[in-house]
Amino acid sequence: MVLTYDSKSHVWRAQFAAMACDCELLIVADNELGARDAAVAAIDEVRRIEHKYSRYRADSVVAEINANAGGASLVSIDEETAQLIAFADQLFAASDGLFDITSGVLRRAWNFKNAELPSNALIAEMVALIGWHRVEHNAHQLRLPESGMEIDFGGFGKEYAADRAASVLIERGVANALVNLGGDVRALGHRGDGAPWQLGIRHPRVDGETLASIPLVNTALATSGDYERFVDVGGVRYCHVLNPKTGWPVQHWRSISVVAPVCAAAGALATIAMLKGTEALPFLREQGVSFLAVDAQGAVSTEATLP
Amino acid sequence: MAAIEINERDAAAKSVGLKLGSITLAALALPGVCVTAAQADTPPESAIVSVKVQGYNDWQPGLDRIKVTAPALYAMAPFAGDWSIESTLVQDSISGASPRWHSSISSASNMRDRRTAADVKLSRYFARATVGLRASTSTEDDYRSNAVALDARFSSADNNTTWMIGAGLTHDRINPVNEIVENEKKRVTDVMIGVTQAWTKNDLVQLNLSHVRGRGYFNDPYKLVDKRPRERDQTIALLRWNHFHEASQTTFRSSYRYYSDTFGIRAHTLQTEWVKPLGDRFTITPSARYYTQRAASFYFDPVYDPVIGEPFPVGRPKLSSADTRLSSFGAITLGAKLDWRIDSKWVADVKYERYEQRSSWRLGGDGSPGLATFKAQIWQLGVTRTF
Repeated sequence: MVLTYDSKSHVWRAQFAAMACDCELLIVADNELGARDAAVAAIDEVRRIEHKYSRYRADSVVAEINANAGGASLVSIDEETAQLIAFADQLFAASDGLFDITSGVLRRAWNFKNAELPSNALIAEMVALIGWHRVEHNAHQLRLPESGMEIDFGGFGKEYAADRAASVLIERGVANALVNLGGDVRALGHRGDGAPWQLGIRHPRVDGETLASIPLVNTALATSGDYERFVDVGGVRYCHVLNPKTGWPVQHWRSISVVAPVCAAAGALATIAMLKGTEALPFLREQGVSFLAVDAQGAVSTEATLP
Repeated sequence: MAAIEINERDAAAKSVGLKLGSITLAALALPGVCVTAAQADTPPESAIVSVKVQGYNDWQPGLDRIKVTAPALYAMAPFAGDWSIESTLVQDSISGASPRWHSSISSASNMRDRRTAADVKLSRYFARATVGLRASTSTEDDYRSNAVALDARFSSADNNTTWMIGAGLTHDRINPVNEIVENEKKRVTDVMIGVTQAWTKNDLVQLNLSHVRGRGYFNDPYKLVDKRPRERDQTIALLRWNHFHEASQTTFRSSYRYYSDTFGIRAHTLQTEWVKPLGDRFTITPSARYYTQRAASFYFDPVYDPVIGEPFPVGRPKLSSADTRLSSFGAITLGAKLDWRIDSKWVADVKYERYEQRSSWRLGGDGSPGLATFKAQIWQLGVTRTF
């Protein structure tokens, strides 16, 4: 963690790497020690969640559940995991099955490294392993019914970590701060100079350019886009946002940014909206959030509260 | 981290002025995602328990002397929203040879085998102020000390300035085992004022002024020739400067302390320490301190007389003492502390300090003659748990 002071906006900036991306905390604090104490505690919280739910760590909760897929017995889960599972369950229901935490198996078909498409047979094989509705679960236990099935919290884990990090900052007496975990953002209060926190929305096609700047006060922002991981095959972009029902990438939107009270909501809503295709904007309006959406032709739609 | 309450969810809903959708409500129900924002001056949110063990031993050339091991327990807990209570328990166990009489650094209290000390502090937090009341007691076979203190802190609206005032009262009762005196008393009152100013974001400056008024028995009952005044007034000024250097990510803490008392002692202390993070887990803090003092006016040099032998003060002075702590000397302390932040709940620390005192190290003049170099080391192991 590197801590610097930005005299223009009167904030302490703590930069660190976590969850496979560059992260930063902007903290309004009286002095370096106060900022450092709060930052280290918040980063600890991010790393705790990363370790607990990483699918790459054999000792993570997720790895244990996946290792027991197809087994006879239910795997016990702790209270925090149970609440995340309950959240995933609600997202599955609210998205008509588009947001499915068992859809990660599609990574075995799509690696986004080679400019070639997976076979229909392979995709069909993977889609057969997807289906949250088939997962047996109660408040304390969970069981994946078929060997080869897996869950992951990639759809909202980073956003949840951003919210939890913000809560740690509040508990350390920080009232004004911005948590930014690779673009998943939660804002507390204002900048040190009293102005709102300002977040740029990345242009989905022009690297280094922003489409808009959004002021954030006590709210959160997350973006889902087709530009992070993708392959171009025959002039068509195939991105990493995959429909769990078809196994194929979505193509209606280049990116959707959502502003919601907390980051876990913003992230989930942005992803579901990408998956909803033409139904995205009515869905976001119904959910009562602000958004900025860029369609496949580059046309921008925004909800009123965004500039 | 407390799970969200329904009213917090409603508050969050109102704060964004929106009718919340089902997914936002579901996200707000996640544990620890939405906690209420803190006030400017907040009481602690978490309880802390800390266990430390400190060791001390000192020696002079060819003579190992006092050895002290002192376990300490500290606990702090917030309660009723705006209050906190904290308490410390310490027990000193002393072993080893009793010191050479003319160059003792042990007070009467240190001569005993065991000292038990406890204090309790109650704090009340207001929007821009904190008020604390502390009561403490310390008990040995021959020495009993009870104290109360009240302090208050006020912050300016921009939080850049903090003022402090404090006052305390200590009452000691002395019953030495050699019965040279019986039921002697000492009363000490002290007042303190201070101000802390955030100079720039990277610089914090603090000035504290204290005045201490003591009346009663100040002698060391275990020293052969030790007659001190029954009054001792002390004036102390402390200037601190903390500076954070961004390029090296290091905090430099420096301080200067001036001390003056009616025994005639004048002392100056210069101290510096560097708080250097080593990654996110470790912090190393090397420190250096230089101390110099002028002797008390009634201090006499413990120079052995070839005829009489053991030193005695010249003539028959009303007041006299050969306690080394009242002599002229200089001292240097070098040390380092390593903090290990194991996770968000546990912190461990280890500290080592080496102290050396020499007459010749006194600043601006010769120190008291006839005193052997005095060395000591202090170590500490600690573990702290936050709840």
